[in-house]
Amino acid sequence: MVNVLDIKVARDLWSMRLQVLSIALLVAAGVAVFVMSVSNYQALIGAMEAHYRNERFADIFVGMTRAPLSIVDRLREIDGIGIVEPRVAEPVRVIREDTNLPISGRVISLPAAGQPLLNRLHLVQGRWPDPLHPEEVIINAAYAEARAVRSGETMEVVLNGRLQGFRVVGTALSPEFIFATRAAVPLPDDRNFVVVWASEDAVASAFDMKGAFNDALMTLAPGAGPQHVLEEVDRLLAPYGGTGAYGRSDQPSHRFLKDELAEQETLSIVMPSVFLGIAAFLLNVVIGRMVEAQRGQIASLKALGFANRTIAFHYFKLVTAIALLGSAIGLVVGRWFAIGVVGSYGAFFRFPSLEAQLEPWLLVAATLVSVGAANLAAASAVYRIAVLAPAEAMRPETPPALHTFSWLQAIGSQRIPLQYVIAARTILGRPVRTLLTTVGIALAIPLILFGLYWFDAIDYMIDVSFGRIERGDAFVTFTEPVSADALYELRAIPGVLEAEVQRVVPITLRAGHRAYRTSATGLDSASELKVLRDSALRPIAVPSDGIMLSRTIARQLDLNVGDSVTIEVLEGSRAVREVTVRRISDDILGASVTMERTALNRLMREGSVANVAALRIDPGQSDRLWSRIRSMPKIEASSIKALWFALFNETIGGMVVIGALVLLGFGMLIAIGVVYNSARIALQERAWELASLRIVGLTRREVSAVIVSELAVELIVAIPAGLLIGQYLIELIASARASESFQIPAVIDRSSYAIAALLVIGAAIASFITIRRRIDRLDLVAVLKTRD
Amino acid sequence: MQPLAPVFVARGLTKVYGAGDSRVVALKDVDLDIRQGEFIVLLGPSGSGKSTLLNILGGLDAPTSGTATWRDHELTGASDEQLTTYRREHVGFVFQFYNLIPSLTVEENVRLVAQIASNPMTPAEALELVGLSHRAGHFPSQLSGGEQQRVAVARAIVKRPDILLCDEPTGALDVDTGRLVLAAIAKVNAELNTTTAVITHNSAIAGMAHRVLRLSGGRIVKEEPNPRRIRAEDVTW
Repeated sequence: MVNVLDIKVARDLWSMRLQVLSIALLVAAGVAVFVMSVSNYQALIGAMEAHYRNERFADIFVGMTRAPLSIVDRLREIDGIGIVEPRVAEPVRVIREDTNLPISGRVISLPAAGQPLLNRLHLVQGRWPDPLHPEEVIINAAYAEARAVRSGETMEVVLNGRLQGFRVVGTALSPEFIFATRAAVPLPDDRNFVVVWASEDAVASAFDMKGAFNDALMTLAPGAGPQHVLEEVDRLLAPYGGTGAYGRSDQPSHRFLKDELAEQETLSIVMPSVFLGIAAFLLNVVIGRMVEAQRGQIASLKALGFANRTIAFHYFKLVTAIALLGSAIGLVVGRWFAIGVVGSYGAFFRFPSLEAQLEPWLLVAATLVSVGAANLAAASAVYRIAVLAPAEAMRPETPPALHTFSWLQAIGSQRIPLQYVIAARTILGRPVRTLLTTVGIALAIPLILFGLYWFDAIDYMIDVSFGRIERGDAFVTFTEPVSADALYELRAIPGVLEAEVQRVVPITLRAGHRAYRTSATGLDSASELKVLRDSALRPIAVPSDGIMLSRTIARQLDLNVGDSVTIEVLEGSRAVREVTVRRISDDILGASVTMERTALNRLMREGSVANVAALRIDPGQSDRLWSRIRSMPKIEASSIKALWFALFNETIGGMVVIGALVLLGFGMLIAIGVVYNSARIALQERAWELASLRIVGLTRREVSAVIVSELAVELIVAIPAGLLIGQYLIELIASARASESFQIPAVIDRSSYAIAALLVIGAAIASFITIRRRIDRLDLVAVLKTRD
Repeated sequence: MQPLAPVFVARGLTKVYGAGDSRVVALKDVDLDIRQGEFIVLLGPSGSGKSTLLNILGGLDAPTSGTATWRDHELTGASDEQLTTYRREHVGFVFQFYNLIPSLTVEENVRLVAQIASNPMTPAEALELVGLSHRAGHFPSQLSGGEQQRVAVARAIVKRPDILLCDEPTGALDVDTGRLVLAAIAKVNAELNTTTAVITHNSAIAGMAHRVLRLSGGRIVKEEPNPRRIRAEDVTW
């Protein structure tokens, strides 16, 4: 026979179905965000690891001017080295009919066997080149998609100054070009950067590398540490112009990926965990009050002889059913969103396979958190009631404060309508419950702010990066350093309004045993197209000698202002110099090393030269301007801000916007759930009192004023508190999650505060309306028949 | 003092709750006249329909059929706003469970009604009438049941109601405290000439009435005038 209490569970669930649903949705929102985000993050990590493993991503990378293939055997002899893969890798340019923009890229040699040993290719489409046809190449899938290049198409590539035609026979993904980037461009630009894998013969003959190589990939032997290997490789390759071996952490694509993942971790792990924690707390508040509203029933069960344990178990079933319903909805919805959102990552994270993961522990953790929080609340509420004698518990709760605090009596005044006195005494007479409800509403606000914050952060970063720091419209990169006089040539091009040059040099910074591979930018002190700024966005001057480091680099190398640091230049003269750290700057745009350009020129022992130019251009003349620039022999690459924006919106922007919208949506759902439940439970607890007021002749409006004014006071306190808590949490998360390439600033626009507050007020008004309907329908007769 | 013209007129009042198998007929075709200043006691067992009748007279419930009027107020078919106004301006209620507001003091519970009435006495006067002036600043939870019920009486009469409706006013009280409450009700009836209807299943209280109506199965089965009224102090049960 079915236990009667179990029938009560089922009937209670049914009779409170709207409230049950709103609590379940609160749980569901927390669980869904958590499950979606964590499983997406795991999907990215899983896809990266699988790609690295399957395509045998190298551990050590090194470039050099030219080394004979005989050196390869000596590399293999180095203790701790596993596989060595020599190859030829060179910068190239691609000419297309449909664009005036110079497209840059890299050509990489493929061994005669086709698939290399390391950094293997994952063929997306087409086939491997036929060894008998050196004109057949594979290109990176990202470029092929961005430019709609199909197999069989020919491609005009400038190799070592000579135009050569290749035929594309396949497209591929490579673990070293998950993000295909080049110097001076902060974001992968798939439309204007291409990787061409061509036969060894074709590449070697174009670059005069027969029997030689200029790039090598290596793996570490199992158990070997990188430090010794890096030193040995550098020693061995020094005579051949080795530019310094480096590990995965300095490999550009991997470094960018790692920073992106760190950012995703904030969006996917930190925020959703805080989110789930807040949802659990709110669940606790709501369930606690829901159980307390059943005070009379609990007392009756006790009076009938039910043991506290039995009663607690009864409520355990009730709230567990609600929490499980919520978790189940959350898991299904979270999984569903995960699949959708992971789909949006594909345009940005180029992995062979990227699928939303759903690990069992995730299900268990999310369910445990919600069931646990619900039961903790129910247990403490049941306990509070169960310790009372049944007779006392059956009386309506009269707050002890009403007896003890005479100031509560003093609240009454002849001039204040008594419905407000009732509200004020309820708020002040039950301070703990008022506090919990207020904190509950307040904590819903950060959940909304979390979503809005990402939009603000992106706007701010774009404004700061491109409005305040990088103020030019475009960059051009030269194939080799040119005289600073090239400026005059650039300025003479019709459509160029302003031009400034920079010297960008790949370097390794060394301090003691620590090293950091990056590039140093030499800026003219009067530079206006690039303006350095501190975190308060005040312009700062380039030090006239010595270097300026950003904080993350300074911290990694343990450097302070006045310390000396070794710069190893990784091109040309390979100069090794000591310089003084003159200033440590905020990493608004990510890690950077800056010097005065002529100081950098002196350090390089070169004349006044530059290899990058920033331009301000007249958009009306851009076509003619670019066709002119493309025809200049020494231009390697260009980057246009407007295109970069479009790219940003398509990739990072799109990805973050989807994540932020999901966060915002669920945050709103929770805010509505909390406000609605607070109002609904307040009504449930007070139905008897409110009906009594109606009977003695107060109008619906006057009676509603009691509940509405109570909630209004809680909202007035909760909203500013919630905005402050939100700001604090975001600052905490942002400062904890600053990565090397990007620092996500804790900026929240005023409009976001206003939107968050308005959304909560909107939720409150909607709740008031439903509550008002219930007050209108209060069954006055039924109230008379029961004590409470 | 002999009662005069009828102020309450009910004709063919019928109230049916539920439908189908769960259909319960609470009142069947009840006709009733109540005169100005009359003290009526409605007697009957549980389920006899007395509370339903009182709720309809007080504007808390609507009959399924029939008509009920109070002076020129048509109670049947009135809107919720009209019934609220009717209760607010003319009716005082006293219930078995007092229905006081726990967060308001005794004086404030009374003032709550005074503040919405058009011609109220002062809360102090109302409390004086029920003998509770000394408890004005206390909260309901600090009072005994009898005291709480007298506060309810004070709250009911502070507006100088035209009609005082009491549903089992002594149902939760012992004899001595019950008498105090009854005395307060009788005093209001006598001094303010307030038409008064008291529901009880305690036939001893019937001795206080001008007229006793006995209900059974949703009908008035007997109507007895009471020429020899007793004082509340003499009621025993």
